[in-house]
Order: sequence, then structure tokens, then C-alpha cells
Amino acid sequence: MLCEECGEREAAVVVTTVINGESTSRNLCRECVKKYQKGGDVSALLAAILSSMYKARGSSGKSCAHCGMTLEEFNKTGMLGCAECYRTFRSELDPMLNRIQGRTQHAGRRPHTDPAAQERGDRIMKLRRAMEAAVSEEAFEEAARLRDELKKLQEGGGEETAKEGAEE
Amino acid sequence: MTEAFTEKSPRGDKSAIVLSSRVRVARNLKDMNFRPKMTQDQADECIDRVLEALRGGGDDFRYYPMRGIDPIEKRAMVEDHRISADLFKTDDRGAALISADGRVVIMINEEDHLRIQAFASGLDLETASGLAYRTEDVLEKSLNFAFDEQLGYLTACPTNTGTGMRASVMLHLPLLTAKKNMGQVTQLAAKLGLTMRGIYGEGSEALGCVYQLSNQVTLGKTEHELTDAVSAVAAQIAGMEQEKRLQALREDPVAFEDRISRAIGTLKYARMMDLKEFYPLWSALRVGAAMGRIPMDVRECDALLTAAQDAHLCRAAGRELTDREIREARSAMVRRTIRDRLSSEEDI
Repeated sequence: MLCEECGEREAAVVVTTVINGESTSRNLCRECVKKYQKGGDVSALLAAILSSMYKARGSSGKSCAHCGMTLEEFNKTGMLGCAECYRTFRSELDPMLNRIQGRTQHAGRRPHTDPAAQERGDRIMKLRRAMEAAVSEEAFEEAARLRDELKKLQEGGGEETAKEGAEE
Repeated sequence: MTEAFTEKSPRGDKSAIVLSSRVRVARNLKDMNFRPKMTQDQADECIDRVLEALRGGGDDFRYYPMRGIDPIEKRAMVEDHRISADLFKTDDRGAALISADGRVVIMINEEDHLRIQAFASGLDLETASGLAYRTEDVLEKSLNFAFDEQLGYLTACPTNTGTGMRASVMLHLPLLTAKKNMGQVTQLAAKLGLTMRGIYGEGSEALGCVYQLSNQVTLGKTEHELTDAVSAVAAQIAGMEQEKRLQALREDPVAFEDRISRAIGTLKYARMMDLKEFYPLWSALRVGAAMGRIPMDVRECDALLTAAQDAHLCRAAGRELTDREIREARSAMVRRTIRDRLSSEEDI
């Protein structure tokens, strides 16, 4: 088993902590244990354990079938392993993206290898803007009409755009 | 000196407050693992594919593999902001491609497969953006980038997804710093989805009072909207700084001039200097230049800031220097520059 701290060396020590009756075990390598011991940095070790407990709650042992990235590894580094990871970890990513980005629908440039998709994307963006403008002007009838048109366009294109509604 | 002061009108326009503009675009190859899961073979292949894609693109790029490059040159590239400290660390994987005029840099195998960045002098994100996307267009003709209809361009770190673009502007804000207005400015930026951080100096100290303003959000807005927001806020902050400068000059012209003249005095006569001492002096010098108090162009001041960095001094000497030698070399270089530019005493 690899060390849960560095993910590089073989784990040699199991550190078990009991906090409020909840027991957590971490498999660490000698280097990482030493790192904590050297500075006598008990709080750092505690923080590491607490963060692993926190993450473990949301973890389902999920991993990406394409690149092998695990949810745990992603939580630790904040980095994804491949494009496929975005599908694998979508349910974890969405709230995070919402928090950081505010919106979760891309509106910018797109690969122009496919002119049809490009055009469709442009139309989606224009409709979305028009709809937002209608809402802010309280022209709800117009907004509803634009929403339906947007929906039709998005459904027609397949792809994962069903979640759109949640944003409005 | 007083005479010189009254003769010159405070011409300083606010565009002189912005040092430079940069646009950085992150892209990843669709069918290849991202950096955290990438093998050495894939990293090499990534470099090969980018080099191939650039062939025939018209622009002339020079290739710098991180593993082969001269260590002084490499550190100087980080000081120039041509490459990032992260790319610097990717010894056996990373590479940089730098255009002949130095305005466009493609970093390969940094956090993302590609980071295309372009620079422009002053507040000019339009030029920087134009250069970056022209290069992206060339690359996209033969490379398939990871893209999702909803999330846009996919990046190794999900905080960059969408446009994958960061537009940033470097601002020189000594008066806003001195008057303790930076907290307010940072809040203003944050409200509009932008971030502000100090550069040069440790942590939040911002010794040279140079700050970087950039977009925090990358998803849900178009590239134009993002660059426009950064430009607009940068112009607004520059206006605030300019207002503070004019106010300080009106309130106590002698104290204003005194600060600049003392800085020039030290820069002109010191025999050794560390960066911690240099930054505030440089900052005063640049205010003098921007406000038309001394016959020196702000761009010359900006070049001086870069030339005074450690690796640049080593490069100029043609060898690694000790700390002590660096301090002496810095003073010698600064002294020469100041004497060349500000030769006559009446000018200062």
C-alpha cells in the first residue's frame, strides 16, 4: 500500500486517531511520519487526519476508468487526470464550480473544427443573454419563450446540457 | 530644484501606471492524460505534437527544453515572467517556445499541456489577447483540444475551465499602498470577479508596490467580457492612483519631490544594494518618471526593474555570482543607467 500522505512511497506505519469517539486510520510512510515528528508538528498531523476524515465522508471510492485518478487524490491535489475525469467526478465538480465560477455554462470560444457546433454554441449563448436580459427587465413572457427555444436547441444537440435548468 | 518643479506641469497620465498586460490561455490535448497522470513518453509526445503543429504557422518560435537549458538563462526567464516558476520545476518534461520578438510564449507540460501567453506593454489586453489567440488558432488547426459543451475547454485544475483564460495587468500603485487604500481596491476587484495580488517581495508586502490584477472567473463569460472587465477595473484603479499622486503633489510638492530626489540620490551613489532596498527606491523613481518629474521614460524604469533581478545580473556578468557580487553588480548597473539617463544635475 502506498503512503496516503505523499502517495509515492510504501506505507510503513498506521497512525490511528480517535476524535469524539470517531476513529480514523492513516497509512503513512516513514518519511511522512518523520516529517510530522521532526517539527514536533502535532497540529499539522492532526490537520492532515481531520482533512482526510472530512474528505472520506464525501468519498465513495470513485475513480476514473480512463486514467485511474481517484476522488481522494483529486481532493488532495485539486487536479484532474484527464478529460474523462470531468464526467467521472461531475457530481463533485458541479458544486465546486458553482462556488468558484458562479456559472457553469461556457460562453466563450469553442474549437472551430466543427462549424456547425460553433454556430449552435453561438446561438445558445445569444439566446441565454437575451433571456437574462428579458428576466432583468421583468419581461417574463419573452423570457419563457426564449427559455423554450433554448431548451429545444440544447436538446437537439444531445450533449450534457440537461443540467442547464438548475442554474436559472 | 524648486524651479525645475514649477516649470514642469504634472503631465503624468494614468496609462503610465500600468506596466504591462498579459493574456494566458490553457489548453489540453483531448486524447492524452493531463499532467498528474502523464507518463514521460506522453510528455515527450506532447512536445513533439506542439512543435509539429507550429510548423508552417508563419511565426518563428525558439524552442527551450527545460532539461537542456542554461540554469542562469532559465532563472532569468522566470524573472521576465516569460515562463512560470511551475514550468521551471518541470525539469524532464516541460518546454517553452518563445516567439522571435518575445511577445508570445507557449509553455508545454506546465500545469496544462499548453499555456499560451502573450504580452503587451502598458494597458493593452487587446493586443495581448490578439497575439495569444492567433497562436491558438494556428495550433488548433492540427491539435484537438479537450472541450465540453457545458464546461468549455477542460483544464487539469477545474478552476481554469471554460475559457481557460487569465487576463492580467501589472499596476504600480505606491500612493494607494501608502495611503492604505489597497484593502478597498482589493475588495472592489473581488466584487467584480477579479483578484489582486502583490508581486516582487515576500507575501503581501509588495515591496515595489507592483500588483497584478487578473480575472478569477474563467467560466460562463466570453473572453471579451473577461478582458474588458480587467481593462475597465485596471483603468479605474489607475485613475484612483493618479488622483492620489496629484493630490500628494498639490498638498506638499516639496515632500513629493524630496522623496523622488532622495531615491535617485541613493540609486546614483550606492555601491551595493539588495532587492529589499532597491524596490522602494525604484518605486519612487518610477513615480518621478510617470509624473514627468525626471527625464526618464516609465518603460525604461520597467526595464530597470527586470535588469536588477538576480539572474539577470548573473547573465550580464556571464557567470554565477555570489550574493555579495550580485549586490555590487546591481548597484553598478543601476548607477550606470541613472547616470546615462539623468546626467545633468538640473534634471533632478
